[in-house]
Amino acid sequence: MSANKLTRATQEPVWVRYGLMTIGLGFLFFFLGLPLVAVFVEALAQGLPLYLEALAEPETRSAIWLTIVIALAVLPFNILFGVAAAWAIAKFDFKGKSLLITLIDLPFAVSPVVAGLIFILLFGSQGTFGPWLAAHDVKIIFAVPGMILATLFITFPFIARELIPLMQAQGKDEEEAAVSLGASGWQMFWRVTLPNIKWGLLYGVILANARAMGEFGAVSVVSGHIRGETNTLPLHVEILYNEYNAIGAFAAASILALLALVTLVAKTIVEWRMKKETEMLNTVLAPEKT
Amino acid sequence: MSIEIRNISKRFGNFVALDNINLDIPTGELVALLGPSGCGKTTLLRIIAGMETADQGDILFSGAEATHLHARDRNVGFVFQHYALFRHMTVFENVAFGLRVKPRKERPSDAEIKRRVMELLGLVQLDWLADRYPSQLSGGQRQRIALARALAVEPKVLLLDEPFGALDTKVRKELRRWLRRLHDDMHISSVFVTHDQEEALEVADRVVVMNHGKIEQIGSPDEVYSSPASPFVYQFLGNVNVFHSRVHYGYAEVERHDAAVKGTAFVRPHDIDIHLGALEGGLPASVQHIHPIGPLVRVELAHHDELIEVELSRERHESLQLSVGQQVWFRARQMKVFGADAMPRSPTQEKQAFLF
Repeated sequence: MSANKLTRATQEPVWVRYGLMTIGLGFLFFFLGLPLVAVFVEALAQGLPLYLEALAEPETRSAIWLTIVIALAVLPFNILFGVAAAWAIAKFDFKGKSLLITLIDLPFAVSPVVAGLIFILLFGSQGTFGPWLAAHDVKIIFAVPGMILATLFITFPFIARELIPLMQAQGKDEEEAAVSLGASGWQMFWRVTLPNIKWGLLYGVILANARAMGEFGAVSVVSGHIRGETNTLPLHVEILYNEYNAIGAFAAASILALLALVTLVAKTIVEWRMKKETEMLNTVLAPEKT
Repeated sequence: MSIEIRNISKRFGNFVALDNINLDIPTGELVALLGPSGCGKTTLLRIIAGMETADQGDILFSGAEATHLHARDRNVGFVFQHYALFRHMTVFENVAFGLRVKPRKERPSDAEIKRRVMELLGLVQLDWLADRYPSQLSGGQRQRIALARALAVEPKVLLLDEPFGALDTKVRKELRRWLRRLHDDMHISSVFVTHDQEEALEVADRVVVMNHGKIEQIGSPDEVYSSPASPFVYQFLGNVNVFHSRVHYGYAEVERHDAAVKGTAFVRPHDIDIHLGALEGGLPASVQHIHPIGPLVRVELAHHDELIEVELSRERHESLQLSVGQQVWFRARQMKVFGADAMPRSPTQEKQAFLF
């Protein structure tokens, strides 16, 4: 048949198509696939029992635990702040709105190490509140509260950034409708606003969580690297690696890699749901039936 | 419930949306706020609903001060131009919303809510859609659900913001007849905003014509159409009549016999007669174009360099047998003259003087 000799107007020559695909997939393989595989290969290089043993080390266990604790401590604040900021920015006009938007982006613009240093300057022993904190026997720097603060600072744009465009697109008609039907502020929020943003919120939470668990720079500055006490997984990976404990380092890293994979899957599912919801909104109207 | 609007003004930055508005809406009346976009009609409606606050002035419901009453306590039903249905709730839950958010003491039982919602859905003839989501409905169906939802809380006043603006012509015509019947059955006061003069004239008991944040005229549909209070009302009520013609008036500078006052005369295209022979008090003109449009025939006449639009019935056109280029005579049966000062921005000052 001569069908395969026909070229379509929208099709590029074979070498362009395959060339571009090779470049794209090759890049993905070398920079994403290969390192991911390497982490698991190195972690399991001496067999599964040794891998599990490395994970069962008390210091590694404590690092995993602390990572989870910090993420769990940070996320509620992020959700509260993110929803409140997005709400204010998307649904109201007020003076200083653009300033607030800029401030929300600040953590993206500032290097994480600088973010960590800010907290040292504020709460460290030589810092602004240092003497007062020492007098009242409150430890923030080189302790868990400081790490939570630093992580909070790094992760707070994620949820707000995700929600602002979503809430702006949805407008405030539905909220106004709810109020005109007699709903109180809380009823309006729980019954109308929250259900409308739930997938966007979940998406933001997933991203913020991934960053909170993976954060290195800011946390490293304020942590003090006290083993078994102020070590999160990323910090612990570095320590183990510097000690030439390859299996331990890669085992711990494999947990982070696993987390990344779970995040990716969750992100894909939520994205798919969000797309479905926007499609539902934009469905072409069926003709009038009655 | 009656609504009184006293000296309401509202600005957005430098833009004056409403300028000292006074309006009484008696109980049971269906009032249309009619005007071009940006004339402040929607702002006025939102101020009545409590979704916007006026810079000054008062709103009274049944004679009682309501200016500072929160929107949720005003007991008004509001229907949005784009429906604003809760997209994550079924049609049933949308209509039930107003009942479910009532304080526990006033909240009806689930069985009672179900009964009331199904009754309302029956009223808008959409009870078979109870389990659907808004995205699965057509525009006309969404608007009726929005109405049912607003009526569920038994409002004393129904406010509708361009309720049929986003629908196609056929559905729009059906829905506005239906709204009129519904209003009469429910014994409530309704206010609806529209820029479509045909809609306002057909549905409303009274029409409030607005322009640039001010009320130009208040009156029955017949009053505003046949005795417009200002050139603006005259032009606006003819302009957008898509079923007749786009420009709905012939106008010219006139000299009156009784006084040497200069003014502008407005004549509707269907108020002009065409004759083949010379006509006393008439003017000669030549036929430029003939457009048959449905039941009417629109004829463009040229008198010197002036274009005059005339609308004839099919029968009249048949009997005249006009052709392009033909010389004819025309005369206005009826016209409205406004003083020169009423037309501050008259495009050309010195025009051909017509002696009607």
